[in-house]
Amino acid sequence: MADSGNAPKPSSSVKLVLLGEAAVGKSSLVLRFVNNDFQENKEPTIGAAFLTQKCNLPTRTIKFEIWDTAGQERFASLAPMYYRNAQAALVVYDLTKPTSLIKAKHWVAELQRQASPGIVISLVGNKLDLTNDGAGDGGGEEGAAEDSGDARKVTTEEAKTYAEDEGLLFFETSAKTGYNVTEVFTAIANSIPETSLKTARGPNASHAPSRTEEQRVNLNGPRDSGAKDSCAC
Amino acid sequence: MESLGDTLWDVVICGTGLQQSLLALALSRSDKKILHLDPNDFYGGAEAAFSLQDAESWAARVATGTGGLFRSASIVRPEDATGSTSRAYSLALAPKLIHARSALLSQLVSSRAYRQVEFLAVGSFHIFKPSQDPVQPSSLARIPSTREEVFSTSAVSTKAKRLLMKFLKFVLNYESSPQLDLWQQHADAPLTQLLQQEFKVDSELQAYIVTLTLSLDGKITTRDGLAVIRRHLSSMGVYGPGFAALYPKWGGLSEIAQVSCRAGAVGGAVYMLGTGIKAMEKVGEETELQLTSGDKVKTRLLVQADDNPSGQTETGISRLVAVIASPLTSQFEASVEGAPRPAVTITAFPAGSLSTTSGKASEYPVYLSAHSSDTGECPLGQSVLYLTTLSIPDAKDILQQALNAFRGVSGDDQALQVLYQLQYEQLSGSKTIQTDGSTITLPTPSLSLSLEDSILGPVHEAWEKVMGDAAVEAEYMAFSDREGVMDDDDVYDE
Repeated sequence: MADSGNAPKPSSSVKLVLLGEAAVGKSSLVLRFVNNDFQENKEPTIGAAFLTQKCNLPTRTIKFEIWDTAGQERFASLAPMYYRNAQAALVVYDLTKPTSLIKAKHWVAELQRQASPGIVISLVGNKLDLTNDGAGDGGGEEGAAEDSGDARKVTTEEAKTYAEDEGLLFFETSAKTGYNVTEVFTAIANSIPETSLKTARGPNASHAPSRTEEQRVNLNGPRDSGAKDSCAC
Repeated sequence: MESLGDTLWDVVICGTGLQQSLLALALSRSDKKILHLDPNDFYGGAEAAFSLQDAESWAARVATGTGGLFRSASIVRPEDATGSTSRAYSLALAPKLIHARSALLSQLVSSRAYRQVEFLAVGSFHIFKPSQDPVQPSSLARIPSTREEVFSTSAVSTKAKRLLMKFLKFVLNYESSPQLDLWQQHADAPLTQLLQQEFKVDSELQAYIVTLTLSLDGKITTRDGLAVIRRHLSSMGVYGPGFAALYPKWGGLSEIAQVSCRAGAVGGAVYMLGTGIKAMEKVGEETELQLTSGDKVKTRLLVQADDNPSGQTETGISRLVAVIASPLTSQFEASVEGAPRPAVTITAFPAGSLSTTSGKASEYPVYLSAHSSDTGECPLGQSVLYLTTLSIPDAKDILQQALNAFRGVSGDDQALQVLYQLQYEQLSGSKTIQTDGSTITLPTPSLSLSLEDSILGPVHEAWEKVMGDAAVEAEYMAFSDREGVMDDDDVYDE
């Protein structure tokens, strides 16, 4: 759907990195968000992958530059080059696997220690379709429910409390059904301070006068400012 | 999962400096089995960018004599005056500018790696004019380097304008017939000789022209000097009005190195930081490497960089990185209408324009590269100044004098408090690629202040060795976008 042909909304790039244990569904979340698609038995990501997707907010457009890292990366040498200068991080765990939440907490600690100050972190419990909450109206906490076919091992309460303590956004999602996936990215887009988007991305750009990527030099040649961005495909 | 030792690697790349990283980018679609190591626990090698804390541990390591090409690193930080977190800084070890006509940019575009780099404009070049008498204070003059600027400048006399115009016109076609005859007899002599004898240019104007070459000793040869100035002139306006060079946001070449390594990782290369090579042994066609991590790996080829100083008389450069508590607003104004606001400007202090505390005139030029917070290298409201001069015993003193002189004339009325200083020396080494059986050693990173295309040749050569016969049909650094990456200009979602 095209915008109503008015002046183009300001558009900004946001670098986002996905972190989390192997097989929690990082790539599947991205695939759902970018292509609205899901693959059963997806191959593990090798190294990393890079994808982009735009997210339209009422007043601006956010272009996500998504770095999806391999959860099984052995030498902890890749993540630093992805979260460097990242403005947002999606730390994913599998809510049927308690150890994956522990790994997620490690990632959160590492981000808080090493990443750009002011990075927006969202904690995401994926695979909600495997629980009794299904991928329906979401929400309610469950007790032990093995007998009812509920594979949930991490309660909403536990993860939510942790997220609140650490100042993280928190969502439970299903990449398989698509439940809550767009919401995660929209919430991140909304949480990046508008001021920090104006000069350019980065933690140091707050309180800046309003400019939108005015300084970024385009290697595809000088282009007429904004005009091209406004046309819908 | 296979262990490291079970794989026969096609190539082990050691080091993540610019050249090794570009090699990883070049090989990122080759399906070769690549193990990319770095003995450092950071990316970028001699082209790294550091937070304040990183810089501190780096300086401490350099002080123990294990800094490879670096020595004499020291930090002055008055009582945590920066007031911001360490991670709000990204201080570049190699803050080089990249001319618009650089072949590196073409390679970044054809390999699609440019999409992940944010390029900023490098603004005007200035020259420092020391005070001649008490009435006339020191000042900065902008170097006119386009026809329009020569016309409009008030920094030089009408006569000088005419000479400068004549010279710029000459440089644009310096390789064709009538021009060729004029300069060839001076080819290996300093450019200043040509300027003086053939163009009757006075010493002040000579300094202007030499500054455009960023020559570290100020004695660049006519042959090299003309090439560099032509590159500068032909780069003007390529990516927009009013600027000839670019600078990658977040620490210059460090960012290019990391973007290249990311491309390598996306292509399946395995990355290990903090891991070097302890020993190597030739086993038949293969090389067995013992890593500092304790692992043993087998590889067909090893690519490393020469991190040993050459020990030649040509010692190296001395650097001073200073964080200033001012946005230096007047430094970063667009020079012409419609130009992007520059994030980097250059100021040259010609030989003789400064003097040491003991009153000795400076022997070599000092170059100062001022970076605004738009580079992401410091928080808003601050700037980073990178000063460079040839390493001589007085260098440290001269750099401080240049810093003080710059603070005095930079046209910013705020008190330019210095929040942080990092000083170090960087040495030069081998300039050529060496191949010894299955080991390829890339040249030592150059000390020049602008990126030279000559660093790209050895990377291409190493790529050909790794690719073997496949290099014939494969196109170098020419890739299409990976799936899932949209083009900014033709996709717009609903």
